Amino acid sequence: MSDEILMDIKKDYVLSKLRDGERIDGRKFDEYRKIEIETGIISKAEGSALVKIGNTQVVVGVKMQPGEPFPDAPDKGIIITNAELVPLASPTFEPGPPDENAIELARVVDRGIRESEAVDLSKLCIEEGSKVWLIFIDIHALDDDGNLMDASALAAIAALLNTTVPAERFEVGEDFPLPVRDLPVAVTSLIVNNNILVDPCRDEVSVGENFMTITTDQDDNIVAMQKSGSYLLSEEKFYELIDISIAKAREIRELLKDV
Amino acid sequence: MSNVSRKIVLPGDLLSTNPKAAGYGTYVENGKVYAKTLGLLDKSNTGVRVIPLKGRYIPSVGDVVVGIVREVTANGWIVDIHSPYQAFLPLQENPESKPGRKINEILDLGDAIIAKVLNIDPKMKVTLTMKDRVCRAIRFGRIVAINPARVPRVIGKKGSMIKLLKSELGIQIIVGQNGLIWLSGDRRKVSIAEEAIYIIEEEAHTEGLTDRITEFIKKRKGEIEDERGSGNP
Amino acid sequence: MNEEAEILKRVGEKPQLIIDGKRLDGRDFEELRPIKIEAGVLKRADGSCYLEMGKNKVVAAVYGPREVHPRHLQDPSKAIIRYRYNMAPFSVEERKRPGPDRRSIEISKVSREALEPIIMKELFPRSGIDIFVEVLQADAGTRTACLNAASVALVDAGIAMKGIVTAVAVAKVDGHLVLDPMKDEDNYGEADLPFAFVIRNGKIESISLLQMDGRMTADEVKKALEMAKRGAMEIYKLQREAVMRKYQGEEVE
Repeated sequence: MSDEILMDIKKDYVLSKLRDGERIDGRKFDEYRKIEIETGIISKAEGSALVKIGNTQVVVGVKMQPGEPFPDAPDKGIIITNAELVPLASPTFEPGPPDENAIELARVVDRGIRESEAVDLSKLCIEEGSKVWLIFIDIHALDDDGNLMDASALAAIAALLNTTVPAERFEVGEDFPLPVRDLPVAVTSLIVNNNILVDPCRDEVSVGENFMTITTDQDDNIVAMQKSGSYLLSEEKFYELIDISIAKAREIRELLKDV
Repeated sequence: MSNVSRKIVLPGDLLSTNPKAAGYGTYVENGKVYAKTLGLLDKSNTGVRVIPLKGRYIPSVGDVVVGIVREVTANGWIVDIHSPYQAFLPLQENPESKPGRKINEILDLGDAIIAKVLNIDPKMKVTLTMKDRVCRAIRFGRIVAINPARVPRVIGKKGSMIKLLKSELGIQIIVGQNGLIWLSGDRRKVSIAEEAIYIIEEEAHTEGLTDRITEFIKKRKGEIEDERGSGNP
Repeated sequence: MNEEAEILKRVGEKPQLIIDGKRLDGRDFEELRPIKIEAGVLKRADGSCYLEMGKNKVVAAVYGPREVHPRHLQDPSKAIIRYRYNMAPFSVEERKRPGPDRRSIEISKVSREALEPIIMKELFPRSGIDIFVEVLQADAGTRTACLNAASVALVDAGIAMKGIVTAVAVAKVDGHLVLDPMKDEDNYGEADLPFAFVIRNGKIESISLLQMDGRMTADEVKKALEMAKRGAMEIYKLQREAVMRKYQGEEVE
């Protein structure tokens, strides 16, 4: 409860600034906070990345091990994505199994990676029909100052770029870098009174948890979309969101090229 | 003004062997005085105390606080004062209460108020009153939130910093001990005051902070005048 | 690292852990692994700390005092302390399923009990103080690393406490006592003893966490205690320094 009062105060401030056409931290409506990407921070993981967007921080670790393939895809590797919104990251997160927000976050990040075919799963077969590589993408929130979604998606792809398949440890061959052939980027916006605020910070979210996430691949195809929040979206705003998301994803993709 | 260096102390640091010297932020055990929290050590002729650098707001009787009404009950209002402890404002402690007036017409869910802590019982049940000159319902203006441990810094020695902001900007400012500050007046001047408050919160009482804040305010005021002059709304 | 040891481990045999008076990672018996501590690293938490001890990487956050929900869990006379030790799935060699397991629950309990006696709970009746620690990378001694981080996070949050808690483990390995065991020493040693001490004004005053796994003589246990105390004092200095570094801008009046 003691943080509720801050949200009330911030809400008024966000709305009053919006009426002047401004955001509370002086950003443009389509401007991201400072983004930092650091890979290889967890040496025990097969791949890892820490992403900071402003004060928001997320760690993603990639672990791999051999496992049984799905019967309908006997020669394809398997991706399993999970998100832990641990109580450390926010006064509003409770200990326990993933709630609907954690599950939604993991599934949207997963969709972006899967539908863009960023990882060529057919290269992850060890023995057709009996052994394939399982890729566990584990998202661990550390500090929620808004937009965990984009930070998680970015950390996931950065971690995959950083991943080495541990074939030697399991005695199935030589280690090799995980083949990543696309760079899906998620762009989340907050919809407030007909305004689109890209990369909302926590204080801005106090107005209402009405988001739109659009993930695109390196050819500007849309590979995932998620309207999140109980609000009504107009067609006009929707088209605007698509244009903005493609443009911002292109900018962020540049950062991944240095990874 | 002398530049006194204040040492940072951690919980358990020994401050004095004279139990009579034990002041705020310390505890006594076996005749020795220790620091209770992270803070700045303040040694004087009267004793030792620790000025906390962090910590949630814990109410004290007499504190002026800014709060928001969370619940309307049959005999008063439950108020959120940004503390682990909720506060209660009884009907009879609000001068606007009159027989025949509906409770939620006097103060409703979400209304902001400035009140004073009247009483705290051993279970930390906090009772508020609005029967004081400084108290009022807040119908306009802005509320700014800072770390409650920094409130003395924002107020300044003998209220000097607050007086400076008020006189330079011509706005109303009421500082709640709970780290919530009410600002009211011209929108742009209020904005400048808010920025100034964040600067004061951040920077130590370094020599010349008062001058720097005065400079900052003058500069910002100048920018507003320029905008007005060039015909911008 | 030692190649012979790696080969022995692969075939499931216990490697020699002390070679020519040195440990497998080259340390002396009483040498701690490299430690890095940073206070106040998270924005949302009231207090926080990032800590590395050897290859361990942990983050601790403190929230509180804050309201306890649901109401019936409130204690009218004091604050309720919660400690949650959690390992990230990618923190260990073989991916760990998310969520508390029996080991995490036990560690959470004894860690909470190590901190509770020094937190002035009676000052905050009906409230709660939550301590959350996440292990991002594990390499033996996570519980002591986490306690050290939690201790700094509590100070950073401004929580009223009697002193500071500092933790370190001692192991018995190939007949010798060693300080701050690393993974192989932990797995293949004869005994493992994690300790935590309450330190006040730079002096160790009491033991707040004590566990043992293995077999030792009473005499060895006493020697282990002395070794742990010496190690703890070194770590305590680093904890203090981390807090000082964070707040040093505050000192001038």
